[in-house]
Amino acid sequence: MVHFKYLLWLAAGVLLPQLLGSATLMSLLTQAVIYALFALGVGILLRQCGLVSFGHAAFFGGAGYLVALLMRDLELAAGGAILLTLLALALVGFLLGLVVSRIPGIAFGMLTLAIGQTVYLSALKSRGLLGGADGLNIHWPAGIFGLDVKLFYDPASMFVISWVVMLVVIYLLDRLFRTRFGSITCAIRDNEERARFIGLHVTLPKATVYAISAVVSGLAGILSAIYTGFISPETLHWSVSGMALIMTILGGVRALWGPILGAIFYFFVKEYVGELTDYWMAMLGAVVIVIVVFAPNGISGLIEPLLSRKQELSRKQELSRKKELSRKQKPRQSVIVNRVEVRS
Amino acid sequence: MSQPFFTVKDLVVDYGGVRAIGGVQLELQKGEIRGLIGPNGAGKSTFIDAVTGRRIPTAGQVTLGGEDITRLPVVARRMRGLSRSFQRTSIFAEMPVLEQVFLASHQAQARDPEADALAILDELDLAQYVDWRAGELGYGQQRRLDLALALVGSPSVLLLDEPMAGLTVTESRELADHLTRLARERAVTVLLVEHDMEIVFGISDAVTVLELGRLLAEGTPDQVRANPKVREAYLGSAA
Repeated sequence: MVHFKYLLWLAAGVLLPQLLGSATLMSLLTQAVIYALFALGVGILLRQCGLVSFGHAAFFGGAGYLVALLMRDLELAAGGAILLTLLALALVGFLLGLVVSRIPGIAFGMLTLAIGQTVYLSALKSRGLLGGADGLNIHWPAGIFGLDVKLFYDPASMFVISWVVMLVVIYLLDRLFRTRFGSITCAIRDNEERARFIGLHVTLPKATVYAISAVVSGLAGILSAIYTGFISPETLHWSVSGMALIMTILGGVRALWGPILGAIFYFFVKEYVGELTDYWMAMLGAVVIVIVVFAPNGISGLIEPLLSRKQELSRKQELSRKKELSRKQKPRQSVIVNRVEVRS
Repeated sequence: MSQPFFTVKDLVVDYGGVRAIGGVQLELQKGEIRGLIGPNGAGKSTFIDAVTGRRIPTAGQVTLGGEDITRLPVVARRMRGLSRSFQRTSIFAEMPVLEQVFLASHQAQARDPEADALAILDELDLAQYVDWRAGELGYGQQRRLDLALALVGSPSVLLLDEPMAGLTVTESRELADHLTRLARERAVTVLLVEHDMEIVFGISDAVTVLELGRLLAEGTPDQVRANPKVREAYLGSAA
């Protein structure tokens, strides 16, 4: 049933370019999906650990730079460079996560902001290696993972590629967070102290989520770098992290697809309200305030209860069955005695 | 008298220049219920915090089954069977009830975590709320869930910080009955901090009284109740 749902979304993504036809709209949607993946990376950190990062642009932009350097300086094939970059992001994310995820609340946000801006300024000042403020043109080979590179430059086909990548990522994350690992991270997010007192180690799971979050953000950065063929320090700036955070808040994080909804909403407001007024950001800010105050779980939080009602019913039936089974296996002892012998 | 199962020797806890606990000793036998009472500010919660690893003691030693656990982290203590509840309800508000109790049971290496979790929820009258998010429960139910998290996985030592707070009279008595059964049938050692004197004196094998971080009295409930110093400092007419 779950797989069928994903197949439906896959079919919808493949059919959308045929139905829309407009290259401008496809370009907008392609950017939206790439940034949706980035917002998903930021969102899972908030969803599973309750951590708000202002520095994930370092992974988003950094991934593009690293792929470019690996191809240019080490002459690696594009596929190898991409895989090596994702591996490096996982490692760096995990090690960084081991340190920063111990810091609670706003201090964590400030620390990630500082790290992100350090990466941004380093790239800006590095003229020799990274091209400084001018950035780098990335010379992609004729094929990436067996696909013609032209497919990555065309908005319609790039939309489908990004859509498929996004669906695969959501599917894998959904599977992962339904395991005990997902329960552990939720418990730590809800109440870290209590989590320790039921015997949970709290640092490793948080660092793992941080690493996954870094890899997903980096994957989005690589797609962006392939689509534009260019990488600049602007992609590392804190405002890019902030944008992903706004998308995440708009969409909500209770559902995995919340940040994706937020990203699509963000790009449509930017495109269509931006045509009407230069103050579209101010209007978006007002929307964010309304969402935070009246719908703290975001747009997805308003939609999800309607979608999950059926799922909830079948879960309740399953739980009732388990309870019944448990009672049959182990008859309840006469445990409640409404009397306590109080010694006089 | 056999060797004590759980001991605290010369425990000292300082907050800056203030001595919150000043050299308290405690020896508990396996399966014993010990009441720990004292007026507000006596250091009861600080004592439990220091013993469970939430707060690092300035000096002293804590042993469990002969092993020194004074410097062990919280998780390692839980793995050895030391479990606690909190004065202020401490649960996982966004998680379904069964999921969190199952997780606690699994971490405590129960043989069948799901059956263990369901049994404890059943005993604490929470079975009908298994699929509720904990934050949706009423206060009394949340208190019982807090207890369920401490009780699963057959702990060997249970430290309960005002577990009856917020419970109705009937619920308190049911819980007292449950604690008695845990101690008698499963040999769980219980240290009970509680203001409900009827419960404490009713189910405890012995009672320890703290005042200003120091041991004021110790003995059977009858001995403690009859102690003039305890009456003057704490019990008054309550006993």
